[in-house]
Amino acid sequence: MSFSVARALAIFRKDVLELRKNRGLVWSMLTLPLVIVVTPLGVVWAYVRNPTDSGVKALALYYDLSVDLSNAARFLVDKVLADWFTIYLVMPVFVPILISSHAVAGEKEKRTLEPLLASPVTPLELVVGKSLASLVPSVAVCLLAFSLLCVGVDVVAWPLAHELVLPNRMWAFGVLVIAPLFAFFGNGVAVLISARVGDSRLAQQLSGLMVLPLVGLAAGQFAGWLKAGLGYYALIGALVLCLDVAIVVAARRLFDRERLMSRWG
Amino acid sequence: MHGIRVEGLEKRFGARLAVSGLTFEVKPGEVFGLLGPNGAGKTTTVRMLTGLLQPSAGRASVCGVELPLRDDGVMLRRKVGLLTEQPGLYDRLTARENLEFFIRLNEVDWTSAWALARGLLERFGLGGREDEPVGGFSKGMRQKLAIVRALVHSPEVVFLDEPTSGLDPLSGRVVRDAIAELAREGRTMVLCSHNLPEVERLCSRVAVVKSTLRTVASLTELRREGLALDVLVEGEGAAWVRALDALPFRVVAQPEGSRLRVLLDSEAQAPDVITCVVTAGARVTAAHRAARPLEEAYLELVREEAEAP
Repeated sequence: MSFSVARALAIFRKDVLELRKNRGLVWSMLTLPLVIVVTPLGVVWAYVRNPTDSGVKALALYYDLSVDLSNAARFLVDKVLADWFTIYLVMPVFVPILISSHAVAGEKEKRTLEPLLASPVTPLELVVGKSLASLVPSVAVCLLAFSLLCVGVDVVAWPLAHELVLPNRMWAFGVLVIAPLFAFFGNGVAVLISARVGDSRLAQQLSGLMVLPLVGLAAGQFAGWLKAGLGYYALIGALVLCLDVAIVVAARRLFDRERLMSRWG
Repeated sequence: MHGIRVEGLEKRFGARLAVSGLTFEVKPGEVFGLLGPNGAGKTTTVRMLTGLLQPSAGRASVCGVELPLRDDGVMLRRKVGLLTEQPGLYDRLTARENLEFFIRLNEVDWTSAWALARGLLERFGLGGREDEPVGGFSKGMRQKLAIVRALVHSPEVVFLDEPTSGLDPLSGRVVRDAIAELAREGRTMVLCSHNLPEVERLCSRVAVVKSTLRTVASLTELRREGLALDVLVEGEGAAWVRALDALPFRVVAQPEGSRLRVLLDSEAQAPDVITCVVTAGARVTAAHRAARPLEEAYLELVREEAEAP
């Protein structure tokens, strides 16, 4: 099968252009990162404001009985940031789902799929172009959110920590390695589901269910049942990498012109 | 320049037979009509010939590319242009951005493709509207832009599904003139249409399809396939329709002004019809064989198929 970078880039450019002109989608894309950045800042601020508060110490003891109570607030700041990365991972899954559902199933709704498939573009170029158009903005949003989180946390936590709390090794590894794997996963799931259902809202809703395991993990962490750290996230990353490989295999089977036309045309 | 050759083409979707037994040929530079009622298999046929669907049986050659495709069909799709039933444009993008996207997908020389597109936009009355979002365009403007998109890469064969749908009479004429001109340049045009007067104006030959191929014929041949007698009388032709009930055979009468058109089963019935009308008291000023309108020939073909078991 031939592959033209120029055609894949044409798809990418067109989809990004459409995304830029879809203000509703852009705002919904930016709302989640805003929440994900602002919420931990509030929690960190609460710990920094009253580091010697008995409630803070009690909470630290709940998580770890061997904690140094003179550093309870710092312990909780580090703990909430380690746990929060699971919530942060919702973003690289959910933002590509928002974009890909529109970009793929939207072609059917707008009746643009048939002229598109009648052009020389191959299904592989279509998937690559559309995936890039979803992944690049998603990863950019995640990096921007992480940058804002770092600045915000460091400013808020400085009176307590007197050093930069973020970025640390775990977050850097997570943002640069694990988040793109999750973004690939979110995009892949949305593309595959869109190929099956062909309705952008239904595709979005079904794909959105993929964030539930992350919410479950986060709940386990906040309850103290799971201990988040570099190894923990590396294990999750390895699992998602396997899922990504499975998605690529499924996409190669699902994305042929005939199947797309029969199902979508 | 190549045309189209189709031999025994068939398409099944699971157990459902969408279309079968298609055999016809379209010469280079010909405007060929593909007629048939809704659901007859016209769109499926076009999708097979543009490489969007693989035939279940049979074979075809489009622009020298053999079907079923043995590769990813890039070569075929570079040579064909398709105007789909729905314009299928990106509403948030401008007309220029829509065309630019398809120029890039076809990987043709940007300068010449854009020059061609601008020329067509001017011709279709869309000059100066290139930078407006397509979402604000009227139905007719969208249709014309979709036609430009189908032509922007200078395809050898162009498939047009209802090209003048939604266009006002003037725009319709501009589009028909453009189609005729493209055919004169040597491009092969396949026109799917329910607009029979348009088919009569543009096409030299037609294929009538209703799941199977009903006929392939020139328009002249198609009109000749049935017999019609025009009896011109003094006064209204409608006044003598009842008189035809006296005939020992059944005929269909279509009065229009002083003309009484009678559809016959055989030429031998003509003298009886004239005698019958004269006997009833009509003053016949002339009687002659008439070419059937395409609509009648078409409806008869489609009806026959519908009545078949």
